[in-house]
Amino acid sequence: MWKEIGDREMGKIRPNSFSSWIKSNRISNLQLSNNKDIVSPHRGSINSLQVDLTEGRYLLSGASDASAAVYDVQRATNYEGNGLIAKHKCLFSVDKQHGKGHKYAISSAIWYPVDTGLFVTGSYDHYIKVWDTNTTQVVMNFKMPGKVYRTAMSPLATSHMLIAAGTEDVQVRLCDIASGAFAHTLSGHRDGVMTVEWSTSSEWVLITGGCDGAIRFWDIRRAGCFLVLDQSQSQLGRRPPVLARSAANKVSVSKSLSAGQNSLGKPRAPQKKYANGHGMKQLTIGRMPAKSSARQRLHPGMLSIQDRATAHYGAVTGLKVTDDGMYLLSAGSDSRIKLWDLESGYNTLVNFEMVRLQTSKAIQLAISQETAQVFVPCMTVVKAFDIWSGKMSLAFRGHYESVNCCWFSSQDQELYTGGNDRQILVWSPCEPMTDDTDTAHTKDQDNWSD
Amino acid sequence: MSVWNYVVTAHKPTNVTHSCVGNFTSPQELNLIVAKCTRIEISLLTQQGLQPMLDVPIYGRIATLELFRPHGETQDFLFISTERYKLCVLQWDAETSELITRAMGDVSDRIGRPTDNGQIGIIDPDCRLIGLHLYDGLFKVIPFDNRGQLKEAFNIRLEELQVLDIKFLYGCLKPTIVVLYQDNKDARHVKTYEVALKEKDFVEGPWSQNNLDNGADLLIPVPPPLCGVLIIGEETIVYCSANAFKAIPIKPSITKAYGRVDADGSRYLLGDHAGLLHLLVITHEKEKVTGLKIELLGETSIASTISYLDNAFVFIGSSYGDSQLIKLNLQPDAKGSFVEVLDTYVNLGPIVDFCVVDLERQGQGQVVTCSGAYKDGSLRIVRNGIGINEQASVELQGIKGMWSLRSSTDDPFDTFLVVSFISETRILAMNLEDVLEETEIDGFNSQVQTLFCHDVVYNQLVQVTSSSVRLVSSISRELWDEWSAPSGYSINVATANATQILLATGGGHLVYLEFGDGKLAEVKHAQLEYEISCLDINPIGENPNSSQLAAIGMWTDISVRIFSLPHLNLITKEQLGGEIIPRSISYLLCALGDGHLLNFQLNLSSGELTDRKKVSLGTQPITLRTFSSKNSTHVFAASDRPTVIYSSNKKLLYSNVNLKEVSHMCPFNSAAFPDSLAIAKEGELTIGTIDDIQKLHIRTIPLGEHARRICHQEQSRTFAICSLKTQSSADESEMHLIRLMDDQTFDFISTYPLDTFEYGCSILSCSFSDDTNVYYCVGTAYVLPEENEPTKGRILVFVVEDGKLQLIAEKETKGAVYSLNAFNGKLLAAINQKIQLYKWMLREDGTRELQSECGHHGHILALYVQTRGDFIVVGDLMKSISLLIYKHEEGAIEERARDYNANWMSAVEILDDDIYLGAENNFNLFTVRKNSEGTTDEERGRLEVVGEYHLGEFVNRFRHGSLVMRSPDSDYIFLEKLQSSLRKVIKGVGGLSHEQWRSFNNEKRTAEAKNFLDGDLIESFLDLSRGKMEEISKAVNVSVEELSKRVEELTRLH
Repeated sequence: MWKEIGDREMGKIRPNSFSSWIKSNRISNLQLSNNKDIVSPHRGSINSLQVDLTEGRYLLSGASDASAAVYDVQRATNYEGNGLIAKHKCLFSVDKQHGKGHKYAISSAIWYPVDTGLFVTGSYDHYIKVWDTNTTQVVMNFKMPGKVYRTAMSPLATSHMLIAAGTEDVQVRLCDIASGAFAHTLSGHRDGVMTVEWSTSSEWVLITGGCDGAIRFWDIRRAGCFLVLDQSQSQLGRRPPVLARSAANKVSVSKSLSAGQNSLGKPRAPQKKYANGHGMKQLTIGRMPAKSSARQRLHPGMLSIQDRATAHYGAVTGLKVTDDGMYLLSAGSDSRIKLWDLESGYNTLVNFEMVRLQTSKAIQLAISQETAQVFVPCMTVVKAFDIWSGKMSLAFRGHYESVNCCWFSSQDQELYTGGNDRQILVWSPCEPMTDDTDTAHTKDQDNWSD
Repeated sequence: MSVWNYVVTAHKPTNVTHSCVGNFTSPQELNLIVAKCTRIEISLLTQQGLQPMLDVPIYGRIATLELFRPHGETQDFLFISTERYKLCVLQWDAETSELITRAMGDVSDRIGRPTDNGQIGIIDPDCRLIGLHLYDGLFKVIPFDNRGQLKEAFNIRLEELQVLDIKFLYGCLKPTIVVLYQDNKDARHVKTYEVALKEKDFVEGPWSQNNLDNGADLLIPVPPPLCGVLIIGEETIVYCSANAFKAIPIKPSITKAYGRVDADGSRYLLGDHAGLLHLLVITHEKEKVTGLKIELLGETSIASTISYLDNAFVFIGSSYGDSQLIKLNLQPDAKGSFVEVLDTYVNLGPIVDFCVVDLERQGQGQVVTCSGAYKDGSLRIVRNGIGINEQASVELQGIKGMWSLRSSTDDPFDTFLVVSFISETRILAMNLEDVLEETEIDGFNSQVQTLFCHDVVYNQLVQVTSSSVRLVSSISRELWDEWSAPSGYSINVATANATQILLATGGGHLVYLEFGDGKLAEVKHAQLEYEISCLDINPIGENPNSSQLAAIGMWTDISVRIFSLPHLNLITKEQLGGEIIPRSISYLLCALGDGHLLNFQLNLSSGELTDRKKVSLGTQPITLRTFSSKNSTHVFAASDRPTVIYSSNKKLLYSNVNLKEVSHMCPFNSAAFPDSLAIAKEGELTIGTIDDIQKLHIRTIPLGEHARRICHQEQSRTFAICSLKTQSSADESEMHLIRLMDDQTFDFISTYPLDTFEYGCSILSCSFSDDTNVYYCVGTAYVLPEENEPTKGRILVFVVEDGKLQLIAEKETKGAVYSLNAFNGKLLAAINQKIQLYKWMLREDGTRELQSECGHHGHILALYVQTRGDFIVVGDLMKSISLLIYKHEEGAIEERARDYNANWMSAVEILDDDIYLGAENNFNLFTVRKNSEGTTDEERGRLEVVGEYHLGEFVNRFRHGSLVMRSPDSDYIFLEKLQSSLRKVIKGVGGLSHEQWRSFNNEKRTAEAKNFLDGDLIESFLDLSRGKMEEISKAVNVSVEELSKRVEELTRLH
């Protein structure tokens, strides 16, 4: 460590390489935290965990007892064990006792991405509720046609405030916080929708995974879905000769996706226009959405054979897009994990080691971009796999019953997991118990961590 | 206390990161273009060496720099991209000698993760496209159209995830890249791809090569006729093309930079990590490569970039040492080296630590830096202002004036020094033993005060007293002619040059005389309405011996007038305004009695005065004197704050002279004291030489080892450093040492070697309560190869006795001691996750020991700590700043507040009780404020971010201190207004935006800079043309003169 700090001081290693080196070191040392406890108030299995995206400070959990709770993960409420174990009790929780709370299990609890003033819960009682964090009151209710499996808001959005909701129903609904009404219904899935995920490269692109085994891509500005992932479409023979490639049907699809990706850059577009008083040539970099491809993308244009493609046998239970917006990981009730290339829509055929996944419930995956690892709840264990090789690198054993959800905080390099045993566990980089006070306690404390 | 901060560069970046050579300024001229972090410098290659042409700031950290020549152009264009994803193409405008922006744009993408190995920007040799590798897995292509204009960019997926280098191949029908990459199993390979512009994709290229040297890190494309690519590894060099593969083994080394020697690409210079320069030759028969040869040429600074200029001249740009201009000789010198260093360019970087000291005890700080790395490690003493190196001094009270005289007109040296007192004049001369002794010049009247003296043509001297002008032979020293003032009038002021003399007597009479051979002739007489306060006829223009113009300052109406010579016709009259009488005039400078100085542009032919500016130099009357040093003329302003005024870059600059008060000064260039000045100050006459005329002075103390930490101890007048010595390049073993240095001579006077694997991490000079001694405390870490994080370290306490470091106490710690601070008479250490306080205890046997009192943990790594009173400010590895407080009664340290942002810190400092400054990993600065008045615990427990700014440099250390003596308070609101007006008027090079450049930026967010002002931008106001100044003056509603004055005052802060 001291060597790397020295190398950073003299500019031998770049500051960003320094931080990713430390992060990956710390992540490879993740273990059940010996100094940080989250005290779960829930009396039902924990279905959803999320740390807020603005400060990385407040953990929101949603559980089957219809309760949701918020914890400060940065600042402990009290300390135990001679001040060495930080206890994080919930700052507040809402449950059935709350007059306007949910009746049945909360399946999904997410923060409003822009600030921590609001959060959103989705429940098996068919409701999605928007809460004011400060008053813990419901400020908005959306009645859904069935049990809510998963809700999601775009972390990038600057021009919309839409909650995407996957429910028992075949249609995906977008609930608009700005108006309090449904903005869109997206039709295509042939069964309920277990999981929804927004693109990390475009605020307009939504990805949904259904019980029909399909993963669908939607550009919410246009009608219909523009891509259905096909597990049999793999990148065999990469970089084929140019002619053969252009004949492939997929090209139009991939183009439209990349056009979508580029248009997301538009919120920043005004910056790209510089006053060029000198009459210099303005260089436009970044593709403009091509008009022609927009027309091709229209729903009816898609061949029915493509429309029936599946990504998994059985239901798609978990989706997670990598932070760089280039890959998608999916988990299915077929106990498979798949890595998809987002630009082409190809299945990369990375062979993830055999696991057993829960089949009845949606699972929440987490990704650590620095180390290219995905964290997958595999029954009672959470496993970390290398994204590129599919090899398991770490296994986190601690829950007594099945794990439903995990959240990785890249800022603290901490993993939070929640399961049917009603516990929220913290996995943090192991820290040697340095304690060089010349006191008699030292011995006892040394024994404690292992 | 204001939340505003004014950030200004005292010394421009010197670390050379990139360089290239080409015909940029004209088709015939060869230019070297050098990038230094955030600046580019363009120089011209001439017979005399490198001649600087332009030095401009770039609003970004330069990531890539390339010259290229689009089709149909006769000279090169410059392509620059910055680390924040801006790019521009620049062209030279020969008419205005400025850079024109041909194209610019933003190449950031929402998708992709920034590359770990830095950005790659390359241009196809046939100028068909620019290729950029900015994000993992993406290759961005910007095609050129037929007219050399840039077209719309697009991304191509690059499957190779760990890309080490990408280059374009020469001689391919389609643009072809070669990619050096590492796979999942850490093996390295190269692969080629053709860029299909129409399809916007890659096509598999003509060849690939698997399983290269594990240290292969650099590709060198070989131009036609050979084509192909060189792959430089740590143990082998490989030449590879579609139909050839040649390899040679080399001594293990890491090649950092290369430079191509010949246009046909058969020879290359390679610079390695140890500063060795090799020549790599591709042997070939016609177009067939037959082999590779490598030869050691010699040693240079550790190169970050190599540019072969012409005729065996090579520029070595360095990040770790001084950059060099070298010549490669055909024959080796005595040491077997072919390298001859012709010139070096100072580089302060990388500054890993520094301290501010006042070695001369004059109240003016000097900065002593730990600069450079490895073998090029050094200490640099950076000092503001111009130093006088005293060579001789005599005690003399009451000096009223001084002049130096030569013994004959042709003598290059001065012989006599005429010193005038209130009622006598004494003459000092250099005798044969080079000792200054009193002598006499018979023709001079030594019974009265001398008003003026000067050398005159025809081996003559002139002395002006209040009653007469005496012309004396410098050989026989006899009086040849005398002009007496009309009876009833006495001469008040006089001035002369080699052929002319102008004097003023009471009653406003102005008399102009000319010197002949042994004769004085009155040429013209004029009567002015008021008394004359000062005169000047210093020759300017072509004739060095006579002047066409005379400047005259008047009492009563307080004006300065320009007269023509010899007719004494009034040309210009300028009212100075105010109550103060002009006291001393040079041509465009006019010093006032209250310490202000006015300067004007003087039109040589018309004698008009324009561009009036006023600055304050001091509070006492100023006398001005010109002198020359290194072939340029400077003005010495003697007053209570002596200043040297010089012109650089078409503007006047003021440099403090490191003397307290100077009453008179004259140049005295004698054989024994060449290029010296005679200076009269507080009862003393001093002769000394003057430093180079520039703002900051840097003295280099080469160490040959890498100093990592430094601290000064005033009591023992020593410095202590933690340093690292690399034994030899072969076994790479390192020795870690604590060195004691004398603070005057900078000699090592004592050394304490640390254990194997033990590194010095922190050093402090402090004293403890109940102990009068002053100690050096050193914190160390045992860095074991198998450990990620040190688990053992030591705190060593030394005392300096008889110039030796004596170990008094040592304390083992359970981790690296990243920081040490003196704290309430105790020692506060930051050890891994913990802050630990130690007491200094007296044992029964009379020895001392450190005993731990209390601690605070909960940090990831407490790397940087500062204290003030009972408060402790901690900069964490990745958790920004937290504020702790020490509670005396409980003997405990508790957290008071924290900044919850995830800033990866690189330095912290306490600005005042409430505001703390931090620097972080993404080159940003920020300030946080303690919120003691918050109403809730949450509010009080949070450090509020009050200022944010993108500095664009990696900060290793903050220290309080100043390079100058005082700092006036500034009106920040006004300055912010000025800054935003300047942003509109001053366009960034390449059309880059200043506002975007200074915006706070990290992985998570970008936010406009707040509560920080860019002093570099504000001070560039002074470089603007009058028209633009007026534009700004209108925008901020302050007169140009007032603006200039305020900005000039700011420039005097550093």
